[in-house]
Amino acid sequence: MTSKVLLVTGGGGVGKTTLSAALAVTAARAGVRTLVVTIDPARRLATALGLKNLGSEPSPHKDEPNLWAAMLDASASWKAIAHRHAPADVADRLVDNPFFEAATQHFPASQSYASAEEMANYVEARAWDLVVVDTPPSAGGIEFFSAPAEMRDLVGGRLLRWLTGGAIPGRRALFTLTARPALRIAGAALGSDLLERVAEFLMDMRSMYDGLARRAVQIEQHFRESRTVVVTTADPAPLREAARFYRDLPEMVPDPDAVVFNRVLPVDWHNPKPPSDGPLVENLARWGAEAHRQTEVRKEFAALWKTEIATVPWRPKTPTTLDDLAALITAAEGLPLERLGVVTQ
Amino acid sequence: MAGAAVVPHGTNVRAMLERRLIIVTGKGGVGRSAVSAALALRAVHLGKRVLTVAMTDQLGLALHLGRERLEYEAREIRPGLHALAVHRPAALNEYLKVQLGVPKVTRMGPLARAFDALASTAPGIREVVTMGKVLWEVRKGAWDLVIADGPPLGQIGSHLRAPQTVTELVPVGKVREQADWMMDLLADASISGMQLVTLAEELPITETQEALTWLTEHQVISPPEVVANRILPALDATSQQIKEVGPGPAREAALMHKTLHEEQQKWITQLSPDVQLPFLFGLHTPPEVAARLADVWGEE
Repeated sequence: MTSKVLLVTGGGGVGKTTLSAALAVTAARAGVRTLVVTIDPARRLATALGLKNLGSEPSPHKDEPNLWAAMLDASASWKAIAHRHAPADVADRLVDNPFFEAATQHFPASQSYASAEEMANYVEARAWDLVVVDTPPSAGGIEFFSAPAEMRDLVGGRLLRWLTGGAIPGRRALFTLTARPALRIAGAALGSDLLERVAEFLMDMRSMYDGLARRAVQIEQHFRESRTVVVTTADPAPLREAARFYRDLPEMVPDPDAVVFNRVLPVDWHNPKPPSDGPLVENLARWGAEAHRQTEVRKEFAALWKTEIATVPWRPKTPTTLDDLAALITAAEGLPLERLGVVTQ
Repeated sequence: MAGAAVVPHGTNVRAMLERRLIIVTGKGGVGRSAVSAALALRAVHLGKRVLTVAMTDQLGLALHLGRERLEYEAREIRPGLHALAVHRPAALNEYLKVQLGVPKVTRMGPLARAFDALASTAPGIREVVTMGKVLWEVRKGAWDLVIADGPPLGQIGSHLRAPQTVTELVPVGKVREQADWMMDLLADASISGMQLVTLAEELPITETQEALTWLTEHQVISPPEVVANRILPALDATSQQIKEVGPGPAREAALMHKTLHEEQQKWITQLSPDVQLPFLFGLHTPPEVAARLADVWGEE
């Protein structure tokens, strides 16, 4: 069995996790064996998916035979990554090092890399027809795709070279770091001990390089074969994120297979024909103004980037059951479900 | 109360703006840049000399102030209102020069890069440079009020705690001395305050509650005000009126409004926010949003 991958990306707060779950439920109900990989779902959504614990181990849903879900924990993933790519003794030392936690939290790329490597593991397990990945919020959108290259670069010694001023020295040379003119001041400010501890840590990180670099290439190959959905709302911040898929386009970022506007109001709320006057007309007028704004924004986006747009209606209540989630996709317009691998012929 | 604006209540905005520093934070997408810009406009209206600082991502604040981008040097946006964005290499430079007293640095390139390698790895250093810039602007005394459009909620703890983290890491030296005054300034309730922006939805409310617990445990800054953004007013119509209007958009919009309002109220009661800001229907541009919210701040 080969797995298809569906990456659900977009800015913070657009409903990415909910839509990932909704697409997964729809696929499962269409007979597609589906795993949905989420990050930080709302409690009610986690409950709907039958998720209890953080961790990369997928759990089957008790009421939905074709549905599995996993809830990633980047910190645990990074520990596994260290053990996968570094020699056992170095890996033990790394995960105990307080710098390890800081470094794997500091870079937006590191959370993305952790979920991308888990994604590759799921795909290669060949246990599912479809793996739906809810990308980390820190990545925003396109950063998810450049994370493997970025991590390879970091682990490979970019920071270490910055510290040592060019070539990567032997371990012994680290103890003369503060002899570098550039570092004498930093040494005086921070103590040379700290510099050495950081350099040693970065040397340990380098032992992951070969494994991680190989994995990064494989992950990028999975990206090329993935389907991508970009989720946005009509708000300026997520719209800017969505536009970056067309504007900045680094080579490894695929063209989105669908742009989805979430929380869309009915278009027939625009020019309302008031049944009578009164508070309900006043209410419709203000919602009509909001619906009008949304339509304008969608038109503008479609024209600017020459793309089709799918819409998912605004539901005043957050979906809390599998039926609610499936209903969201049923009510959607313009979603290319077949292309996304959610339904099969 | 048909369409009555939801106005801030329970807190005296004027008293809030008497402080010298307000750090605004919240989960991504809740409107923290809009709230920062609105607060700044309100303070300027009260005659204050205000600096707004974009701490981590400058675009949101820039757009709400009607700019394409912000510079590291404070620029005047309008009389009384200045803005800057913390650009990390520049902040690092200033930190080394002004705070650590690094004399005339001739080879800033390699030093800055080495320091950056360090800052990316050792916990707290990167955050202390960013916080340091904000707190330094407060300490300099050139502004009546500094409003910091802060990092997202997920990173606020590591920023607020950065001075402590650094003192744990570096027991002596100049970095340590700098960390000490930063902690004092942050902890002084008459100087520093914080606003947690949230939406009346499950995830933002949950994260805000977690942040409040963290803040109570760590005591690094005085208790924050909670600002609930995009709150709908109650619909001024009875169920009977909605039924009578017949099927169609007017009824749909009424039911939508009613359900959303009820959902919001359900979440809000879990938090009882200090300030409620209204949902703005059909507004187009970020500066419009900031101006409207600033007006609402003024309606106390």
